[in-house]
Amino acid sequence: MTLGLTIAILGGAFAVILGGVGSAIGVGLAGQASSGVMSEDPEKFGSLLLLVALPGTQGIYGFLSAFLIILKLGLTGGSVASPSVFQGWQILIAALPVAFTGLVSGIHQGKVCASGVYMVAKQPKDLMKPVIMAALVETYAVLGLLITILLLNGISL
Amino acid sequence: MSVADVQKVHIVAYSGLKKTFINSLQEEGLLQIEKADFDTLGLSTPFTEVTTVEHQLHRLSHALDYLSQWEERGLAEKLFAQKLQVTSREREEILSEDFIPLLDQVENCEKEKNDIDSHLRFLEKEEEFLRSLQSLQLPIKSVADTETTEVVMGIMPLASFRELSAETGEEAFWSHVISQGKRHVHLLLVYLKSQKEHYRQILKDNNFSPLYFTETMLKEAGDQGKVMDVIQALSKEKDLEKGKRELLEEKGKELASSREQLMRIHDVLLNEREKRLSSRNLGETTRAIFLEGWIKTVDIPRLEAKLLPFSELVQCYFRPPLPEEDPPIILENPRIGRPFEIITKLYGLPQRGTLDPTLYLAPFFFLFVGLTVSEAGYGLLVALSSFLFLKFAKPRGGLRQFLTLMAILGVATVILGTLVGGWFGFPIRKLMILDPLKDPVSFLILSLALGFIQVWFGTLLNMISRIKSKEYLQAIFVQGGWLILLPSLVLYALMKQSVWGILALVGAAGIVFFAAPSRNPIARFFGGLYSLYDVSRYLADVLSYSRLLALGLATSVIAMVVNTLCQTALDIPWVGWLFAALIFVGGHLFNLGISFLGGFVHSMRLQFVEFFSKFFKSGGKPFKPFALESKYVEFI
Repeated sequence: MTLGLTIAILGGAFAVILGGVGSAIGVGLAGQASSGVMSEDPEKFGSLLLLVALPGTQGIYGFLSAFLIILKLGLTGGSVASPSVFQGWQILIAALPVAFTGLVSGIHQGKVCASGVYMVAKQPKDLMKPVIMAALVETYAVLGLLITILLLNGISL
Repeated sequence: MSVADVQKVHIVAYSGLKKTFINSLQEEGLLQIEKADFDTLGLSTPFTEVTTVEHQLHRLSHALDYLSQWEERGLAEKLFAQKLQVTSREREEILSEDFIPLLDQVENCEKEKNDIDSHLRFLEKEEEFLRSLQSLQLPIKSVADTETTEVVMGIMPLASFRELSAETGEEAFWSHVISQGKRHVHLLLVYLKSQKEHYRQILKDNNFSPLYFTETMLKEAGDQGKVMDVIQALSKEKDLEKGKRELLEEKGKELASSREQLMRIHDVLLNEREKRLSSRNLGETTRAIFLEGWIKTVDIPRLEAKLLPFSELVQCYFRPPLPEEDPPIILENPRIGRPFEIITKLYGLPQRGTLDPTLYLAPFFFLFVGLTVSEAGYGLLVALSSFLFLKFAKPRGGLRQFLTLMAILGVATVILGTLVGGWFGFPIRKLMILDPLKDPVSFLILSLALGFIQVWFGTLLNMISRIKSKEYLQAIFVQGGWLILLPSLVLYALMKQSVWGILALVGAAGIVFFAAPSRNPIARFFGGLYSLYDVSRYLADVLSYSRLLALGLATSVIAMVVNTLCQTALDIPWVGWLFAALIFVGGHLFNLGISFLGGFVHSMRLQFVEFFSKFFKSGGKPFKPFALESKYVEFI
């Protein structure tokens, strides 16, 4: 196993870890808020679930990017690529956009969702409005994912 | 396609007709009643009492909630159940029914059950207390002070008890361990009254807390009863109470069969309340009633036909809304566009005299959801399940509209998924026009091009609505300027032909000279120059559409991941196929959920933030006709 390959794998790990941490904190925030609301009104489970699940996408984007890296390196089976040290760094850097936008936007989306949960508690009919607000935050994770995919696509091994 | 015409209606009727009149208005549901301007008209407001009805409604819905625990229907049955139907004649009958005894029965049942439950809890606590003392072989009554000694029962930490034994070893102090737990010990203590201050202090220092038998226990025990006897008596009482509770449970089940009756009454009363509330908006003189409201212009003949039987006693006047009035907004679209009204309504209804964006956003929304989900298999599942639910469960109102929208979006996903995605992660290469995984740049350009078209179209709509509101200069030079500037900039950048450059300058000139409203030519020029800076906003708006690529790719890659995992699972000997099947179904369902959620929400955001900001003004009031409302039943 070469140093280049190791650095590239570190990139994949970054994408999953940071995206996952962001989502975990975000979903945690929204989940706490919704449990509070459900203690008063258990009927709202369905609509609150949507808001709690929303900050989960950053983790999926990170996972997805890591999987693309795995595919690129041929780690699922067959012949494992042997990238040079420079190529390894390139892959690691390519993973950074999705990793960091995922970390920060996941946390903040969680906060928006948590306050959205309180809003739905008072205005159950306006469920979609906080969902849209949360999607505004998610934009930056989507853009991070987009650039990671394009960068990975551009790196030739 | 647009906003429906509404007219103001004023109705004057003979006051003897009031009740029949209001009934028929509610049945038809054509009119939104406004509060009449009593002061200028010199009319009085009739007083109608609603608190009784409201109180009854409250009791009814509470009783229905309570009885719902005995409802014996599965989830599927609930989903596909038809609502109870109630005709208008039945409504009259229901109104004269005396349902109060039934309601009382339900409430009593609930109250008795609650009483029994709290009594049972009390008994259990007592029993728990006695269990720790059960080895005490004395009659309970004898645990009491004598003339010369104090007798105390209590609990103490084990460690403190050892110290206590050491401290009081030789003295006139007798202790008996009733029971010993891991950390605590239950004690019976006897000491001389003459030294009670001394011992009490020692006990206090050793964290002793006294325990007492309650009145009920003493009563149960009588003169000779021991702890075990009381425990037995208590459990006998518990059984008795449990028996009563079961009887009540039976009664509850029985009462639950009359839920349907209560549901009917609830909904009929609900409308009774609405009627009473609405009649507060009427103006009244001794002989006549006066009513003011809004009605759709196309509905006027229906209202007139309805009032024909009373034509001699009723007079209606219709007129178009005055400029200073704010009539309610009713969206009117052809059938195919109607489900998309959900999206417009979510943002807000258009202001009076502005465009209804529903039909304009529909094709874009259709495309965007298709591209962001881009999985034909998921589209097929969503379209089929929405369609089946619509066909068999026959939902009404908002749910029906939403499911129709989902069915349409499912079809969009089938089409676009086949073209740029796959079927459950397997692309059909022959039918594909573009593979975003292999050629993401082309897909990105496609996304941005779609974004450019929508943003440009939004600016065009802005121009049209400005022309409608007679702001010709703004419309032609500023909006027109943008409409020329934006595409020529793009074309110039792509082809470097000077003709596009000149066109861009022409467009920009219009913006520079007409965008700022100032009369001072210098301020006007620089103000106009500043609004050219908006070009960066247009750029940002168009770039925002790159999410179409990212979300579309995310769906395909996750689908691929699921399939790869299945492949790996297949290698497990013997049960590999089972794991593979589970991963396939679970993984794809999960992906379906998140990709539709993401696709729907982000496509909606593109409409609201990027498209609507160009031309749409929300703030219209919704049309709320005075009509029959129902929660549990369906009125026919």
